[in-house]
Amino acid sequence: MVEIHPGIRENPNATKGNAMALLDRSEWYDIARATNWTPKFVTDAELFPDVMTGAHGVPAEKWEVYDEPYKTSFPEYVSIQREKDAGAYSVKAALQRSRIFEDADPGWRSILKSHYGAIALGEYAAMSAEARMTRFGRAPGMRNMATFGMMDENRHAQLQLFFPHEYCPKDRQFDWAHKAYHSNEWAGIAARHTFDDLFMARSATEIAVMLTFAFETGFTNMQFLGLAADAAETGDYTFSSLISSIQTDESRHAQIGGPALQVMIANGKKAEAQKLVDIAIARAWRIFGVLTGPAMDYNTPLEHRKQSFKEFMQEWIVGQFERALIDLGLDLPWYWEKMINEFDYQHHAYQMGLWFWRPTLWWNPAAGVTPDCRDWLEEKYPGWNDTFGKAWDVIIDNLVKGRPERTAPETLPIVCNMSQLPICAIPGNGWNVKDYPLDYEGRLYHFNSEIDRWVFEQEPTRYRDHMSLVDRFLAGQIQPPDLMGALAYMGLAPGEMGDDAHGYAWVDAYRQMRRAAE
Amino acid sequence: MALFPVISNFQHDFVLLLVPVDTENTMDEVAATAAHHSVGTRVAPQPDKVIRVRRQGAAEFFPRNARLAETDIRPMETLEFIFCDA
Ligand SMILES: [Fe+2]
Ligand SMILES: [Fe+2]
Repeated sequence: MVEIHPGIRENPNATKGNAMALLDRSEWYDIARATNWTPKFVTDAELFPDVMTGAHGVPAEKWEVYDEPYKTSFPEYVSIQREKDAGAYSVKAALQRSRIFEDADPGWRSILKSHYGAIALGEYAAMSAEARMTRFGRAPGMRNMATFGMMDENRHAQLQLFFPHEYCPKDRQFDWAHKAYHSNEWAGIAARHTFDDLFMARSATEIAVMLTFAFETGFTNMQFLGLAADAAETGDYTFSSLISSIQTDESRHAQIGGPALQVMIANGKKAEAQKLVDIAIARAWRIFGVLTGPAMDYNTPLEHRKQSFKEFMQEWIVGQFERALIDLGLDLPWYWEKMINEFDYQHHAYQMGLWFWRPTLWWNPAAGVTPDCRDWLEEKYPGWNDTFGKAWDVIIDNLVKGRPERTAPETLPIVCNMSQLPICAIPGNGWNVKDYPLDYEGRLYHFNSEIDRWVFEQEPTRYRDHMSLVDRFLAGQIQPPDLMGALAYMGLAPGEMGDDAHGYAWVDAYRQMRRAAE
Repeated sequence: MALFPVISNFQHDFVLLLVPVDTENTMDEVAATAAHHSVGTRVAPQPDKVIRVRRQGAAEFFPRNARLAETDIRPMETLEFIFCDA
């Protein structure tokens, strides 16, 4: 998983014939990055307040054993990053005049739009989080690694704003790469709520655990490795090289969390560490469930799919991440079996919500339910036709019979007061949809599962005042109180709001089937 | 007469929905409003059945002609709408 650059062990200067001989990095690194000192003008607690370090009272000297598994010097970092950026930009330049963008399946363009809007400004949030570790990390190695991580995240933000920018004149929805986080669009609210919780409003140690260990080691592989493979299959080498380039940074700075967890566990703080991991995985799973799940199983054209989302989750989360948890001495989260059970259905439910409320998106979702697609879904998810297929049957029937208005949203879905995503599950003959309510200080909250409600209950004061889109609607903040008012509230201008990616051309297959049957 | 939002958890649908009804509505009228958003939209009609209303998780249905104001249903409570024999 970790890509070590072939040149990493050498000092870049040492390879130049005329350079003076330099010490090997291993001979000076530990001394050079030992930046702890004894403050004389303030106390240690004033310099590193527990509320900012999140050290849970574990004293500075206990953090000195923190040993980052990946070591790099500033000259090495700069030279490698320069090569990476040059690589990504040159692929982009070389393919500038190709027709990949125009010729790609519209479902693929939708993946690009959803990805850029949901991720690009999230990178800024990650940059702020790394900056907090750079200042308040309790261990020198952690501060050093986070300095590089901060620069990594800035690079990711710039790349993922610059690459979609050239598409804006062709397609206004690409403007949402920059716009989504500044809007009240519901998926934007969901992303902000999650990243504010895990990245922005946390201490240095919490960030090390929640952002770098749980979110990055556990989940960014989903979006970045999974989509890189699908992008290469689709022939979009620009996107493939871009996100592979980003992923090499992720796999380096994701290693900030492991040693921090080791220090916490060694100093009697396992329960605290476990809780942070459990909260972060719960929240990350929802975001990837709505973003990566529909991308892989519905929007990626059938012939270009490498693995199902479930197979991917099983390989990376159950196979690899589970072992990483155990190796560190942590337990599996209490909800592990429940979450794995959700791999079978949650993202199918999100997909139906995305497609049905398509005017509220900044991309055009592909339905992904042609007869061939359904065969694939049934094979990968036995029972799909009897559950999700039953609800799609009604939608398809309305489209075939010329009643498109019956496939348009007329009311709001209830969104979860934790994930900010619709509360949804299995329809049809496997119907298991359920509200998980909580009465807290006289306000009635609604959650998608026991897991989301549990996260709220761990720190209610952190979450209680947030108003979901539905709460805002009921409070009269969305005017006029109808779909047009909601679209205006979300900032979706005409020409931006989503519609079926293929302009409903896929419905023809069903029309022909009906005709043949008559 | 007062607007009263409830949450519809409609049998065989995939998502909870916001459904605005009125305190004067009977349970049959509340069910009809909820059905408008689900039946023929993502749930296949079952013309020989009636739709009964119960609190999520309850065994008993509310009487079909009970008015919302006469029940102890709270605003934004989740109600289940279930196909039943007439
Ligand atoms: Fe990043
Ligand atoms: Fe990162």
